[in-house]
Amino acid sequence: MAALLASAPLLALVVRAFADEWRAPALVPQQLGLRGVQIAFSGSSAEAFGNSLLVAVATAMVALVLAWPAARVLGERRLRHPAPVFLLLAMPLLVPSYAVGTGLTEWFIRLGLDGTLPALVAGHLTFVLPYVVLVLLSGFGPRLTALEEVARVNGLSPFRRLLWVTLPAAAPTVGASALIGFLVSWSDYGTSLALGGGRPMLPVVLLPFVGADPQVAATLALLFLAPAVGVLAAATRAGRMPL
Amino acid sequence: MTGTRWRAGARWRAGARDAALLAPSLAALALLFGGAIIGAARVSLVPLGQGPTLEAWRDLFDDPLFADAVLFTVRTALLSTALAALVALGLALAVRRRGALVRILLALPVPVPHLLVATVAVVWLAPGGLADRALGGLPVTPVRDPAGMGIVLVYVYKEAPFLLLLVLAALGRGHQESDEAAAALGLTPFQRLRWVTWPTVRSPLVVGSIVVLAFALGAFEVPLAVGPSNPPTIAEYAREATQGDLVSGQSTAAAALLLSAVASIALAAIAVRAARDPQGG
Repeated sequence: MAALLASAPLLALVVRAFADEWRAPALVPQQLGLRGVQIAFSGSSAEAFGNSLLVAVATAMVALVLAWPAARVLGERRLRHPAPVFLLLAMPLLVPSYAVGTGLTEWFIRLGLDGTLPALVAGHLTFVLPYVVLVLLSGFGPRLTALEEVARVNGLSPFRRLLWVTLPAAAPTVGASALIGFLVSWSDYGTSLALGGGRPMLPVVLLPFVGADPQVAATLALLFLAPAVGVLAAATRAGRMPL
Repeated sequence: MTGTRWRAGARWRAGARDAALLAPSLAALALLFGGAIIGAARVSLVPLGQGPTLEAWRDLFDDPLFADAVLFTVRTALLSTALAALVALGLALAVRRRGALVRILLALPVPVPHLLVATVAVVWLAPGGLADRALGGLPVTPVRDPAGMGIVLVYVYKEAPFLLLLVLAALGRGHQESDEAAAALGLTPFQRLRWVTWPTVRSPLVVGSIVVLAFALGAFEVPLAVGPSNPPTIAEYAREATQGDLVSGQSTAAAALLLSAVASIALAAIAVRAARDPQGG
């Protein structure tokens, strides 16, 4: 029952997105149509979707590359005093994303990067990297180290060990980390607004419609939801949640 | 002697290798996060085209609207976090022995963006929304409610499942065995909750609640979508400041956001201290 209550409200978005006419107090729409889709895609929404997708994918990938060695050290509990490292990782999660965006804008304007995609990726990385490290470290530990040791004793080169042992063993955690990184970047509003410099990003384009035109807002919200549905489908297939 | 020196050398080499492995991510974070905080502090102290001044900070503390924004933000963030933690704890106790499907369905809102949940709240709970129509009128209107009820509802719906996942991860097989042992020893359900379950879930719940609280203190897409126009949250106040005066507004916004960041970090430190203190919980 609680599970149904948690998921049912989202389904109303689908009806709202295709309800061209739905005046109160009617419980079902008077007229269905594609007005919401037409308006949503007549402006900068398509460009915003592309920008958000590109930034989220790039941020997640960069975060994974940077996080891998750190997650390995932390996951294998090699540090005698890991607290300062975890503190540094936690700090960006405690600060408003708009504050980080505002602070970084100051430097990116000087560097001529304000409003560019690399600036947005760098801004998003501030929040995405801690999440990716924290999720990824759970994939490393004594079990994986033992597997790698067996491979080493059997004469596999470091590259082959990575390709045939480490990556397959850590794949579920790598996948979960990439998805978390993608979703954190995809959902970000504050940094995108501060650093975007007018470049449309999906959350920034969606927000004004929430109060002004619920049908267009619902249409854009469904677009916004698509990657989350992908995450859930993947998680359900894997039989566990990524978090 | 040679063996001791060799071991010390090996330890040093291992330490240096670990430091080198940590360096890329920590350097990136230090550069981006440190740069952001220094940049925000600089904007707050040195307005565009002017010399250093504390005017933005003075304006901030003299503005009664900012005081309202602080109170409103702290109140809604604390209430949202406390309610989300309570709901998560209650749900965890109810479903801890259920299968994976129930857990996945309950966790459905976790990957859903906050702004999307706010959009859903408007579709359902705004005047003339679906709940209003289905029930023939709502006793209260959470969307745009001056007390911020809509904001709290959205955060509880979005964050309780996130905290639930953390609590359920802590309530694994080890806890089940301890709980059964405590029951066999004759402890009442309340005593087991107090002495067995709570110590198990306290740390993940507090850590998760800190993340939730920090987000609720600093985010502004949810207040913009479902919150009242007055009072604003701190982040909304900062955004409005940038839309007023282009020069001094940026400084005021940066000062307000820095204060919000300091408040988040201070509250997190207090929460961590309380969670560590055995008398604190």
